[in-house]
Amino acid sequence: MDELLEPDGVTPRPPARGLMAYLDQIGIEELRERQQVAELDILTMGITFTVYSDGANIDRAWPFDVIPRIISGTEWARVEKGLSQRLRALNAFIDDIYNDQRIIADGVFPIELLNGSSNFREQCRGVRPPFGVWAHISGSDLVRDDDGQFYVLEDNLRVPSGVSYLLENRAVSKRTFAELFQSYSIRPVDAYTDELNKLLSSLAPQEVQNPQIVVLTPGVFNSAYFEHSFLAQRIGAELVEGADLTVGTDDCVYMRTIEGLERVHVIYRRIDDLFLDPEVFVADSMIGVPGLMRAWKAGNVGIANAPGAGVADDKVVYAWVPDMIRYYLGEEPILPNVPTYRCMYPEECEYVINHISELVVKPANESGGYGIVIGNRATEAQLAAAVEAIRADPRNFVAQPILALSTMPTLVDAGIAARHIDLRPFILTGRNSYVTAGGLTRVALVEGSLIVNSSQGGGSKDTWIVDLHPSVGA
Amino acid sequence: MSLLSRVADRIYWGARYVERAEDTARIIRSYSDLIVDLPTEIPVKWEPLVALTGNSTSHDVAGDSPRGETEVMRLLLADQDHFGSIISVLARARENLRTTREVLPREAWYTLNGLQQYVASESERAVARRTRDRYLGRVIDESRRLDGVLESTMTRENPYHMWRLGRLLERADMTTRVVGVRAASILQLQSLNLPDDYNEVQWMAALRSVSALQMYQRATRGPIEGPSVVRFLLYYAPFPRSVLGCLQEMRTVACQLPERSEVISAIDWAISALLASEPDTNEGVLLDAAMEAFQQALAEIGDAIHEHYLSVSTIDGSGR
Repeated sequence: MDELLEPDGVTPRPPARGLMAYLDQIGIEELRERQQVAELDILTMGITFTVYSDGANIDRAWPFDVIPRIISGTEWARVEKGLSQRLRALNAFIDDIYNDQRIIADGVFPIELLNGSSNFREQCRGVRPPFGVWAHISGSDLVRDDDGQFYVLEDNLRVPSGVSYLLENRAVSKRTFAELFQSYSIRPVDAYTDELNKLLSSLAPQEVQNPQIVVLTPGVFNSAYFEHSFLAQRIGAELVEGADLTVGTDDCVYMRTIEGLERVHVIYRRIDDLFLDPEVFVADSMIGVPGLMRAWKAGNVGIANAPGAGVADDKVVYAWVPDMIRYYLGEEPILPNVPTYRCMYPEECEYVINHISELVVKPANESGGYGIVIGNRATEAQLAAAVEAIRADPRNFVAQPILALSTMPTLVDAGIAARHIDLRPFILTGRNSYVTAGGLTRVALVEGSLIVNSSQGGGSKDTWIVDLHPSVGA
Repeated sequence: MSLLSRVADRIYWGARYVERAEDTARIIRSYSDLIVDLPTEIPVKWEPLVALTGNSTSHDVAGDSPRGETEVMRLLLADQDHFGSIISVLARARENLRTTREVLPREAWYTLNGLQQYVASESERAVARRTRDRYLGRVIDESRRLDGVLESTMTRENPYHMWRLGRLLERADMTTRVVGVRAASILQLQSLNLPDDYNEVQWMAALRSVSALQMYQRATRGPIEGPSVVRFLLYYAPFPRSVLGCLQEMRTVACQLPERSEVISAIDWAISALLASEPDTNEGVLLDAAMEAFQQALAEIGDAIHEHYLSVSTIDGSGR
C-alpha cells in the first residue's frame, strides 16, 4: 500500500489531500528547490551522522526527503496505546527475569532461551529499579503490510537512536512547508525532550531534589554522537565520556569538573552494557566507568536504560511478546507481531529451511540491518550459507514472511516515485508512558529496496500525525 | 554551573582557534594592503607572514628560501596540513564546538559551522589577491558575530569564562606577533635604506592589522611613529587588543573562576614583566627579543590554565 495514495495510485487518501493539492500547485521545480533549501539547512544546522568507512569516521549530512508522511490522529491513537501496552509488558518481563522468573516457572517462557541469550546479565539478578522499569527509553520499528495493518517488526530496548533526527526533521519541515503547518492541524513533537528530562529526573536517588543528569557517550567517533550531543543540549545535561566519571569509595558516581568532583545522580547511557563497567563486564573497556554497577546496585545512581534491559531486545525473545502481554497484563495485544518462525523448535526450523527463499532470516542479536538475509533477493550461495548458519546455531535465528512494506511518494531524480518505508516511534516508560507523536520515518531511497538504515543508504522523512478538521482536504 | 574539565579544555581551545583564525585574517589583510603601497622597486617579501602562524619564528624569515605571494597565501589560508592555516585552525575550532554543543548557545554552533563550511569551500580561491579581501572580511566578521552571540545570549558562568580566557590569551599573543613581524621588516628596511615615509606606512599597517588605527589616532593625537605605536599596542589598556588590556581583562575573568590563585599569579607576573620593560623600537633585534619574552610570559599563563582547570581528566587528552 501507499501511505498517501489510494490503491489507484492517484487519488490521495483523506489526510493527504491538502498536501497533494499543495504539491501539485507548487510543481516539481519548486519542490526541488525546497528540497535543496532543506538540505542546505541541514548542512548549516550541522545535522549529521557518522559513518565508518575506509578507516576514517566521516561526518555526513543527514539524508532527508521533504515530502512528509501523514498518519491520521485516530489511527495513531491506537498505535500509541499498543506501544505503551507493549512496553509495560516488556518491562514486567525484564523485571521478572532478573527477580522471581515467574514466567518461566509458569511454563510460558522457555528457560533454554534465557540460557542461550547473549543479552542476559547474571550480574543484574536481584536488582529492583524504580517502578520496576528497565527499558525506559525504547524505539519499536513498525511496518505496514498490504492489509494496512501496523506490525511491530522489532523492539529496540538497549540504546535506540534516531529521536534527534525525528525532532530535527520537524524543524526543517516547518520551514519547508510553513504554509501547510497553518492549514493542517499537526501534532507537535517537541515535548519529547521535556518528557525525557522528567523521566530521567524520576530515576534519581530519592532524597535528591534537583538531580545532576548526564548523557554518557562512547565519544565523538560513535555513529550516534550527534544525537548524544543533541539530547544533552535539549535536557540541559552534561555530555560525558567514561573518563569524565569516577566512582568513589562511597559507591557514588562523580564527574571531574574544573571545581573538582561533583556528584552525578542519573546517567542516560548510550554505551552498550558490556562496556559500561570494566569491573563487571568487559575488563578492558576504555569507554566505561569502573564501579558503575556497584553504584547502581546500591541505589546511588539511576541508569537508563538499566543494564540488562537488552534481554528482551532479541529477535528470538520478540516472538514471545504477545504471550508476555497476555501473561503480565491480562490483555490482548493491540499491535500484532509479524508472524515469526523460531528455529530453536525443530519443526519450525525445518519449515524455515524448506521455505528459505520466501522468508527473511534474522540473527537474534544484530542491529542496523546487518546479517539479515532476504530470501527472494539472496543468491543461491547466500541462501546456502544462511541454512548452514541456522543449522549450526538454531537458537540464534528467526524467520519471518517477506512483508510488502508500504511506500511513500518520494522525491528522486526522475520525479516523485514510490519508495518503501518503516516507522520508528520512541516510547518513554517510567511512572507513566509517553509515545512520540509519530516517529522517525525511514525510507529506502533505492527503488524496490527494503533496507532503510541510514548507514546503508536510507533516507528519512518528517511524520505528521494529523487531526482532521472538516475544512482540510475536503 | 558545573563544567567538565574535558569540556573546559575544548571550549578554551575552541576560543583560541577562532581568535587565531580571525587574527591571522586581520594580519594578512593589512599586509596585503601594505604591499600595494610600497614602491615597486622594493622586492616584496611575504615570508614575514609565515612567522605569524606559528612554526617558523621571525629569525629565520629574513633568511633563505624566498617564497612568493601565492605560495605563502596557500600555506596560510588553504593548506590543510599546515597547523596554522585558517582552514585547519577553523576545522579544529569546529570540531571543538561540535563536541561542546550542550554548553554553548545553539546559534554559536550555527555561526561557526557556517563559517567552517565557507572556509572549506573558498580557501583555495581566496589565494588569489582579487578574491582574498572578501574572504578575509568574512572570517573576521563571523568571528566577531560568534562573540556577539555568546556575549548576548550566554550565561556568565564557567564555560563563558573559559571561552573568554582562550580568546584573550590568543589575542594578546597575536598582538605581540604583529609587533614581532614589524621588527623583522625594520631589519629588512634598514638593509634597503628607504625613506622614512615607508616606515610610517608600515607602522600604519601594523595598527590596521589589529583594527587600531583610528583608536590610536584619537588616543595619541600625534604622528604615527614607531615608539608611540608600540606603546599603544602594548600598554594602552583601554584599547581591547592591547597586550595590557587583554591581560587585565583576563585577570577580571580569572577572578570569576574557581581555584584561581595560580592562574592569577601567572597573569600578574606577565603584567609586571610587561610594565617593567621598555622595548627599543628602533632596533629590530631588540624589539623582536622583547616580544619573544612576552610570548613566553603568556605561554606560562596558558600552562597555569592547563594545570589548574583542564588537565584533571586526561585519558584521551584534549581537544588540542
